[in-house]
Amino acid sequence: MVASGIKRGTAELAVLSVLESRRLHGYEIARRIEQETKGALRFTLAALYPMLYRLEKQKLISGAWETSQNGRRRRCYRLTAAGKKKLVPLRSEWSELFAALHRLAGVSNV
Amino acid sequence: MSDWHELVKQRLKGIRLTEQETAEVTEELAEHLESVYLTSRSEGVTEQAAVEQALREVSNWQELRTKIESSREKETPMNKRVTQFWFPSFLTLLLSQVFLMVIQASGPKPYVSPALSGPPRMTPLVVVYLTWFVTLPFIGALGAYLSRRAGGRGATVVSTIAFPVFPFLAFLVVGLPIALLLDDHVAHNITLPAFLVGASAWVVFPAIALLAGGLLVRYLFGRCSEARGNANVNA
Repeated sequence: MVASGIKRGTAELAVLSVLESRRLHGYEIARRIEQETKGALRFTLAALYPMLYRLEKQKLISGAWETSQNGRRRRCYRLTAAGKKKLVPLRSEWSELFAALHRLAGVSNV
Repeated sequence: MSDWHELVKQRLKGIRLTEQETAEVTEELAEHLESVYLTSRSEGVTEQAAVEQALREVSNWQELRTKIESSREKETPMNKRVTQFWFPSFLTLLLSQVFLMVIQASGPKPYVSPALSGPPRMTPLVVVYLTWFVTLPFIGALGAYLSRRAGGRGATVVSTIAFPVFPFLAFLVVGLPIALLLDDHVAHNITLPAFLVGASAWVVFPAIALLAGGLLVRYLFGRCSEARGNANVNA
């Protein structure tokens, strides 16, 4: 289990990463992160939306209202060019951190 | 099935956003809660348990309102500096000076240090208002609280806490040397030990007292934020 502090730090990376390949609405973002991390990261509504709004304010993601086939209106988010640019060093920083922890702790899976 | 839109609307009442923004946030959060509910129902969960599951998404609506307000706020760097540093700093400076004046006017007698060397009437004495020292940790705590609440971090918070001693520091480091250079009638009899005692009495010890209260609040604020963060980003 990844420690809570690390989880909070990786939250931005998680959100930007899941939006890299497709547009998703808030609930889908939370579900996808939970599924892809096998439950290690789970975003509640209270944790997710302030972060989405902050990332949107920083112009790393942008949101737009869309109506699905069943008539439900949802706000979908996509990664902006600035978000894609930010993702590269962010990945590298976290990769370096995990590699360092791996060397330090001497465990195969950090 | 619950009316999620009405529930969110009630819980977000009073949020400081424009009407349109409030409507959009309400619709988006209601949509999320409804999705949580519908997913639970599709997985065979009972209606009551599905509602409870959705409601567990937010443990503190007031905190969520504050977070949404601050995350959507269009704040300029200047506004940030004002709320995180200048406002708390000048407020605590004002408070510390008012307390000092009140204590000087009607408080207990100050401690007066004996002459360090030389003729007693020639060597400056140090006057220490111990009662004032007692108020400083609270003033430092207030500065730390206001700065942290506005989102201040690290050096900004520490500078805010210590700000009330900056005028005394500026006087000792800049004002006094200039006075010595320009006017030999001013403080020409100050000796180095007396200068150091003065610096301790008006800068070092007050700073320590301010930091004692301020850093404690900063630490407690950090612990609370961490606890809230853990509650929201669940394992």
